[in-house]
Amino acid sequence: MINVLLWAPLAFGIVGLFLRGKAVGWWATLGTVVTLGVAIGMVLGFDSGSSGLQYTVDTPWISGLGVDYSLGIDGLNLFLILLTALLWVGGTAFAAFREQERPQLFFFLMLLAETATLGSFLAQDLLLFVLFFDFMLVPFYFLFGSWGTDRKDGPTASAATLKMMIYTLIGSLLMLVAAIATAIISADGGHLTFSIADLQRQGLPLDSQRWIFWFFAAAFLVKMPAFLLHGWMPDAYRAAPLPVLAVFSGVLAKVGAYGFLRIVLPLFPEATVEFQEVVLVIALASILYGSVMAFTQTNVRLIGGYSSVAQLGFITAGIFALRADGADGAVLQMVNHGLVVAPLFIIVAILVERTGTEDIREMGGMALRAPVLAALFLIVALATLAMPGSANFIGEFYILNGLFQSKIVFALIAISGVAMSAYYALRLYQATMHNRLPSRQNQGLLSREISLRDGVVLAPLVLCIVALALYPQLILHRTAPTVQQTVASVTGGKAPEAQLAKESSKSELAQK
Amino acid sequence: MNIEWYIVLSALLFAIGAVGILVRRSPMVILLCLELMLNAGNLALVAFSREVGNQQGQVFALVVMVIAACEVVVGLGLIVAIFRRKLPLNVDDLRELRG
Amino acid sequence: MSATSWAWLVLLFPLVGSIAIALGFRTLPSKAAGLIGTAAIGAAFICGIAALVCLLGEDPEARHHASSLWDYASVAGLNIRLGIYVDPLSVFMVLVVTGVSTLIHLYSYGYMQSDQGYHRFFSYLNFFVFSMLLLVLAGNFVLLIVGWAFVGFASYALISFWYRRKTATKAGMKAFVINVVGDIGLVLAAFLIFRELGTFEYEDVFAKAPQVFHTNEWTVVAICLLLLVGAFAKSAQLPFHTWLPDAMEGPTPVSSLIHAATMVTAGVYLIARTHTLFVLAPTAADIAAFVGLATLLVAGTIALVMTDLKRAIAYSTMSQIGYMIMGVSIGAYSAGMFHLMTHAFFKALLFMAAGSFISAMANKQNIDEMSGFGKAMRFTSITFVCGALALAAFPGTSGFFSKDEILAYAHARGGMYDIFQILGYFGALLTAIYTFRLVFRVLPGKPCKEAQELIDTGHLAHETPRNPASGEEEDTDVGFPGAEHHIAEQSPGMKIAMGVLAFLALFAGLVQVPGLDETITHFLDPVFADSPLAEIVPSVGASWAGLAIGAAISVVGIGIAYWLYILRPEMPAALIRRFGWLHTFLVNKWYFDELIDVLVVRPALAIGRFANRFFERFVVDGLVTGTEETVRGASSVAHRLQNGFVRSYALILIAGFAGLALYFLIVQS
Repeated sequence: MINVLLWAPLAFGIVGLFLRGKAVGWWATLGTVVTLGVAIGMVLGFDSGSSGLQYTVDTPWISGLGVDYSLGIDGLNLFLILLTALLWVGGTAFAAFREQERPQLFFFLMLLAETATLGSFLAQDLLLFVLFFDFMLVPFYFLFGSWGTDRKDGPTASAATLKMMIYTLIGSLLMLVAAIATAIISADGGHLTFSIADLQRQGLPLDSQRWIFWFFAAAFLVKMPAFLLHGWMPDAYRAAPLPVLAVFSGVLAKVGAYGFLRIVLPLFPEATVEFQEVVLVIALASILYGSVMAFTQTNVRLIGGYSSVAQLGFITAGIFALRADGADGAVLQMVNHGLVVAPLFIIVAILVERTGTEDIREMGGMALRAPVLAALFLIVALATLAMPGSANFIGEFYILNGLFQSKIVFALIAISGVAMSAYYALRLYQATMHNRLPSRQNQGLLSREISLRDGVVLAPLVLCIVALALYPQLILHRTAPTVQQTVASVTGGKAPEAQLAKESSKSELAQK
Repeated sequence: MNIEWYIVLSALLFAIGAVGILVRRSPMVILLCLELMLNAGNLALVAFSREVGNQQGQVFALVVMVIAACEVVVGLGLIVAIFRRKLPLNVDDLRELRG
Repeated sequence: MSATSWAWLVLLFPLVGSIAIALGFRTLPSKAAGLIGTAAIGAAFICGIAALVCLLGEDPEARHHASSLWDYASVAGLNIRLGIYVDPLSVFMVLVVTGVSTLIHLYSYGYMQSDQGYHRFFSYLNFFVFSMLLLVLAGNFVLLIVGWAFVGFASYALISFWYRRKTATKAGMKAFVINVVGDIGLVLAAFLIFRELGTFEYEDVFAKAPQVFHTNEWTVVAICLLLLVGAFAKSAQLPFHTWLPDAMEGPTPVSSLIHAATMVTAGVYLIARTHTLFVLAPTAADIAAFVGLATLLVAGTIALVMTDLKRAIAYSTMSQIGYMIMGVSIGAYSAGMFHLMTHAFFKALLFMAAGSFISAMANKQNIDEMSGFGKAMRFTSITFVCGALALAAFPGTSGFFSKDEILAYAHARGGMYDIFQILGYFGALLTAIYTFRLVFRVLPGKPCKEAQELIDTGHLAHETPRNPASGEEEDTDVGFPGAEHHIAEQSPGMKIAMGVLAFLALFAGLVQVPGLDETITHFLDPVFADSPLAEIVPSVGASWAGLAIGAAISVVGIGIAYWLYILRPEMPAALIRRFGWLHTFLVNKWYFDELIDVLVVRPALAIGRFANRFFERFVVDGLVTGTEETVRGASSVAHRLQNGFVRSYALILIAGFAGLALYFLIVQS
């Protein structure tokens, strides 16, 4: 079943190469829907009480090097897989409704990207993970470069894509080196293995952990992107075709955060503790910098892009709070952020299509004739700013609570990002939906309600946001056991129970 | 007979070939000089093989001859192609590979 | 059915109403939308009464119940459940909120009739009531924060309801951002509570807190101060008050419901709810009381000079909330809650009447242009005077009993707290003056142009509505009511709402007369029984003495206003000339907006701009271009070797081999 999940998109994509016209898009959408169906089936069959891997596949692949074709699902990746499958349906369907140049190739690359992304979430073998992680870039390189927009005021699509490639490839190379070094050093002359579980059992000496930690961290932080490593983001986001950007921003950034939980925390626990504060500083800088940038930008894509930088900062901070609640929040927030950022970019696509501009100063007043679009956008915007009552709030609440209990100063600084997110998210909403346009002649252009075809794509995503807002426990209680175990691998089993025990002893003292 | 003479002869032939390649511009002559260098190598191989009393060196010389024949076929073909396309038969003018 | 089941129903009705109206915005006729909205809130009110009956049937000590539906987010030790807490305090708030809301819905049903955004309005309004009820019924701090933020959002949505007004969207944004700052205060307080007590549930927190905390321990003071940030932001207390006057950009029923009667009093409710913590942190409680006092004086002085009718009433709201905050902080819990209730009645009423005047003036809000409405709109004027009397604490009205009860308690507590009584009375004098300033400017005198037209022909002013703040022509497309605007005198629903509120404003005080009935104190007593401050009760004699002083001050204040604005109408202008600097200072609202602009807004924007122009270009991009330059420099060397001369390649090859051979020779020998 897990193999079906992984390879179904690619199979559909290959078949799609031989179709023509509109059928290609629908075929590709069908492929993503099938994948989504499989993913839902797996979530339903998931045993939520267990922290171990489920649906595992493990066959030797390159036995000489100890590389296995090993896949599995646990609490860390369960909902990320569902998210991937869901967003790809949205992105593909949105693209299928529109004319694409060379549709066969476009949709083939889309589906290839889905397989690669699912692969990196599913892989339980270090080398397999690295392989899928790098492989993800290939389809996106072509999608951004060939179907992207060249800008008059900036670099061409291919230049922007090249920049992105250089950034991410440097990270990837470091990671490849680090992965091989991990296996060799931890084997210590014995049997070579790349299985993450085995590597975790064998452990690494601290001085190798130190540099390997940073090699991995570099790859993940570039992918997110984190502050100072985000140089590729503005150009790439402005160049990318919007439906592709929706899935890219919704899912790919999470692979970085996921990598920390899957690989860095279990394999390099001592280094993680040692560098906790350094990574937290980077995360905080991302939060503050992303927020500040998001509220000074006027390009709608960049507002989305920088807000992602800030959000991923929160997620990183949650992971590196090194407490179960912070990490629980981080996992929840990864799903939440994917769920809001994808519809956000789809809405941006609709807006751009209608107004022919990406500058919020030239938009406005759209709520008048498009109240349904405005309502959907409002829900998305409120979720983006982590309005209490949304699942995003619960995610941030858990993250910040974890941070507050472990590193109070960091939490106090991070929380200012929440206030800023309120401002930039609402500003985006107001500038496009409310107010009057400076010039009146544009108004005829705007006065259209959201079309049914876009509604079909957007409404289910928004419904997911609402459903999660009512019941975030759906995700939390399935992910909690694994997260607990992952964090315990770093803190050595000092779970929050210890914290609570301290509390109760304190209150007992007070009673005496 | 002493091996030194063979080696000296071989070195001489090789040097003549190398200098030829460096100073001449006609592709035809360069090809000839290449042959000369290859055969200088062959000579050395055969001489050493006799010295050690092992036949393997002679086999290698045969292989080199076969390769040289192939090379001449390709090389002459190229030269004919260049000639046919009315390009100058001068290697200094043919520098499309400049980086 | 138990009290908690009724409470769940209280929550359910407005939510269902809101969703139903929103989904039916194309199909439902607009009248039906208004009816559904009003009926939903009415049903919630009835359920609230049912809950009250259930509670009254129980032993006073047992009148608190918690109930929860499902685990909302509970892993890793944080047990957050979707739970409510029903006790006399929350039921009291539920009744005030749903009661006043029902009347305001009834009023809006007529008031908004010609507005294009009718469905949107009622959907938002119902959502607001749902959020407010969630806030007061929440059973743990997380759900409290959810309700807290929801009302903030509803307030934002309704302030910028006429979203083509640039001033309205700006005001909405300001309100929202300041409220988010308040939310953050609450969130941090919740974290700190969790750190110390390991729970978010009210019952557990209040049970554990006295055992864990010592009095005035820094943690509990910090918790209370953080809670106060939330309370002040929502209740428009210094220095977070600047959003409230701007919030008057919303339709008048909104000002009446959210920015006078219900939402802005949430801070008072919060302090009353967490009084257990405030008792443990007297320092924080005193800070709260002093901020309340400062707000009531500052806002009172500003209200003296505001010429915008709605903004003047808004400053009066701030000032009255200052009384409530002061009351619940110094320990006059039931008095504070009582004032909250009476204030809801008379302030909602004042806004409704003001709304009628403003629409009769074709949306002009400046009192300098109004006069003579006493003749033109008799019913509205009578109700306006009723509300004004209650606000000015005229003897016998509801505001008279509630305000003086707080001040009497301050005196009974004695010591430093006498300051609150003395300055509170000074504030009462200001209140009487500014309230009757409005009355005497708007009602008597020679009718202005619009009022005269109303008297002569019965027509309302038909001018194109303009934005009172910027003079921009309103966009009637988005739903701004056009020339066909209905006012109180024409809609029975509005008349009923105003009539009921006028009655309550005058006589609701009689439920709590010192020494006679004191119904509210008795009802709320079980909630505050654990507080040592609740044992301080002003004697009946002292209470009546306080009432006598209050009555005198109120009459004097009204007298001064009468003297200034009726007998000597040239006096105010002369005073303004004489004290020009003071007037400018007050008209500019003590320069709070400018202060916040300089201290917070500008630095943040400057950092953003700096990041955009400098940092992004030179540092972040510099990393890339730097790397690129290095690579390019290195490659230019290799580039020169690739010259395309076959013979030079050959030379390199041969030289290379020669070098290699030479190396081996040297190594050999």
